[in-house]
Amino acid sequence: MKTEANVRVRARGLLGSALAKAAAYLVMGTFTLMTVYPLFWLTMNSFKTTREFQVNMLGLPMDPTLENFRMAWEFGEFSKLFPNSFIYTIGTTALVIALSVLAGFAFAKIPRRVTKWIYGSFVVGILLTINTLMIPLFIEVTILGIYNTRLAVLLVYVGAGLPIGIYLSTEYIRGIPTALVESARIDGAGYFTIFRRIILPMAAPVATTLAILQICSTWNEFALINILVSKTELKSLPLGIFKFSSSLSTDYGKQFAALVIGMAPMLLFYVAFRKQITRGVAAGAVKG
Amino acid sequence: MTHAKRIDREAGRAYWMMILPAFLIYLAVMAFPIVLSFILSISDYSGGKMFGENAEKWSLVGFAQYLRVVRDPWFWNALKNNLYIVGISVFGQLPLGFVFAYIIYRRLVKAPGFWQGVLYVPNIISIIVVGLLWQSIFSPNGPIAQVINDLARGEFQGKLAAIMDGVGHLDLSDGALSRILDLGGQAARDMFTDPVPELRDLLSSYGAEEGAMVVNDLTNLLVNRWTPEFLNVKEVAMLPILFVILWMYTGMYLILFLANMQKIDAQIIESARIDGANEMQVMRHIIIPALTGTIVNSAILAISGSLSSFALIFALTGGGPGRITEILSIYMYRSAMSGSRDYPLANAIALIMVVISILLIVLTKAIEKRWGGKEE
Repeated sequence: MKTEANVRVRARGLLGSALAKAAAYLVMGTFTLMTVYPLFWLTMNSFKTTREFQVNMLGLPMDPTLENFRMAWEFGEFSKLFPNSFIYTIGTTALVIALSVLAGFAFAKIPRRVTKWIYGSFVVGILLTINTLMIPLFIEVTILGIYNTRLAVLLVYVGAGLPIGIYLSTEYIRGIPTALVESARIDGAGYFTIFRRIILPMAAPVATTLAILQICSTWNEFALINILVSKTELKSLPLGIFKFSSSLSTDYGKQFAALVIGMAPMLLFYVAFRKQITRGVAAGAVKG
Repeated sequence: MTHAKRIDREAGRAYWMMILPAFLIYLAVMAFPIVLSFILSISDYSGGKMFGENAEKWSLVGFAQYLRVVRDPWFWNALKNNLYIVGISVFGQLPLGFVFAYIIYRRLVKAPGFWQGVLYVPNIISIIVVGLLWQSIFSPNGPIAQVINDLARGEFQGKLAAIMDGVGHLDLSDGALSRILDLGGQAARDMFTDPVPELRDLLSSYGAEEGAMVVNDLTNLLVNRWTPEFLNVKEVAMLPILFVILWMYTGMYLILFLANMQKIDAQIIESARIDGANEMQVMRHIIIPALTGTIVNSAILAISGSLSSFALIFALTGGGPGRITEILSIYMYRSAMSGSRDYPLANAIALIMVVISILLIVLTKAIEKRWGGKEE
């Protein structure tokens, strides 16, 4: 946003008064504190032993220890969970982007009567939340014999990511001048060549948006992988962290450390790409 | 074959090669499960091999499951909880997000990026982490209970010290002992069969110099421990969940509103001000009309979000206490995955949720027509 515009939209009069500003800071400050404090509290307590936590829940750790992290890392088998989460996230993101941009190009630039129906079916899928289908999906992968495989997880994740991916790609590629495609056609280029030479280089912004949306949702996904996989070797981070809920609900130190381990990668990702994430969310939530 | 026809064939082949991979996966993951859930919901299949050799015997038996669902009070309980979630989104997150966005947009606070950035943080964290974090915060052994108990302890000790003021713990009168018991209420009296003499015996077991220890131990013994029992009260068990949902997702609505406010042409606001419009008029006639599409979209987002939510409640309460905080997805999961493996029932629930989603899509289309196309 340009500074000039900021000056113009700045409130004046009653709303611009000192009182209004104080009220605004009070409201924002309260909610910001409410947002940050639980996370700070969690992080701080992950450095206390469970014994210390029980008598000192609100104070800073008196004798900070990394022991919780060591035990949580071992008990949670995080060295298995992290690679899995990376495989699922990178695999899903790459496949969703590739398939979406490819199909988006066809929908946007190759005129076919059937597009209305097929593209329409993808758009409908944006609001058809896949979590409602977790039980039939579980039965389907069991019938297909791919329960407890990475293939099942990737298939389901890609299928779940396609509607919004195809919607955003198609709308974006529609904005690329058709004349570019047509003149290449007249020069005798095939559609795949046009895709590779013209569309792909221009699709970087929408690919970035898709990557952001997909990375955030895949990394944190729980409901679907929970019914697709039961072997530790195949579990993702959220599934592994859930193990700390029932069996260890009184071993707070270890549980908190596990939660911090689970929360840290996304926080780092957010710090690094905050602007892109914010923009991607605003774009991706437009319809679904 | 003419040249034009050959070109068209080439285009057609390219078209299908480009869309088929996506379309086939989409059909397998979204369309097929819907068909499957319909078939299973009218069948008596309950696990085991479905086709081929040694397959379990199963057959289509009709629509009895749907009748079972609508007659099950837990279905209505779950549906009600889903509606609560929609309610907190529409009447909590939406207005709050709007207010935050407005404050940032009109520059009532400095450093807009900071507030926006921080308030969005809970969205980025895994729902499981959020659920388990708040579970420990609300737990009877958690910090809320501890703070309240510490306050209660302090108050109790104060009152105890006032009663024992100047009198050693060995020389308390029956009246004083009775008042000490009163501090702990009926629960304290229920610890003894004959409270006053027994308490006197107990106190006489301490030495004369151990007054401080007596106060401490008596407090530990008699003070009423508060536990966040509201989590076990049917009428309010959803409240902590709704609070966490509000905590988690308000930042997303903030971002949506702010992004769309920033699309408003600043010059329109500027010229309205020059024409003498006040703040309320600017809000009513410029900002809110410009955001109608966003508000409608957010409401739809809230409903579909409610249908898809699962992990938060799964981690926070698991649907408990009892089954009071179940939502439709957890009700479905429990039917299929725990105990009886009631696949027909679970699939009937799945299909009911799909139908609700489809109604929602139809509604969206109608609203889009009403407001003239897709607004961002």
